[in-house]
Amino acid sequence: MAQNDQALLMRLKDSGLEFVVIGGLCVVYHGVPVATFDLDICCPFGEDNIRKIESAVKDLNPVHRLTANKLPLEQTRDSFKDLKNVYLQTDLGKLDCLSEVAGLGGYRQVFEQSILHRMSFGEFRMLNLDALIVAKTAAGRQKDLDAVRLLEAVKEKKTQRKDLF
Amino acid sequence: MIDEETLAQMNGKYVCPPDAGPAWRAAMEYGFDMSLIEASLKLTPEQRLAEHQQAIDFMIELQESGKAHGAK
Repeated sequence: MAQNDQALLMRLKDSGLEFVVIGGLCVVYHGVPVATFDLDICCPFGEDNIRKIESAVKDLNPVHRLTANKLPLEQTRDSFKDLKNVYLQTDLGKLDCLSEVAGLGGYRQVFEQSILHRMSFGEFRMLNLDALIVAKTAAGRQKDLDAVRLLEAVKEKKTQRKDLF
Repeated sequence: MIDEETLAQMNGKYVCPPDAGPAWRAAMEYGFDMSLIEASLKLTPEQRLAEHQQAIDFMIELQESGKAHGAK
């Protein structure tokens, strides 16, 4: 199964959804080369926003990947208003949309601790390094804590070397 | 004639940069390959994401190839 994060990001942006990239891809962004097989974002929830997510991936056979019978997203519209997270499998890979991030709070708090970065394929908000360390520490799994050790080293190096990003 | 230190580096010994701070040294002592972090920090964030995508593509291809050949 493919995992094309760039294509997913571009589709989400085109849908008009406001979001911040969190999770493993953000760890990579800040300079720690880990392998991550899903795209995690934090976004405001509610029916309208989930409809934007749906519009971004509707032609990619999106299903709720954690449901036992892999429920198609389009068959669950009645529940959109009750969702706090959406974990999807699409033809372009896994996409996890969260309404809040452990250690940081809801979308507004996450947004306030993000940075806007311009890339060749568009401008995207990424969690800043300090907030990512807080979030990974709060997540607390071994892989998160391993990432924290490396992110702390990266932070230290970037403090010493202002030319590094 | 190659000296012992150079030979050790050729065999994978990581030389901690003299300006490495406590967090860098702690991660190194924990066992992480800090040369990978050094290499990553030389890239722009977009280059890091592109490298990651290439690595993921390769790993998925390997995984699917393994499945096709009956790997468990």
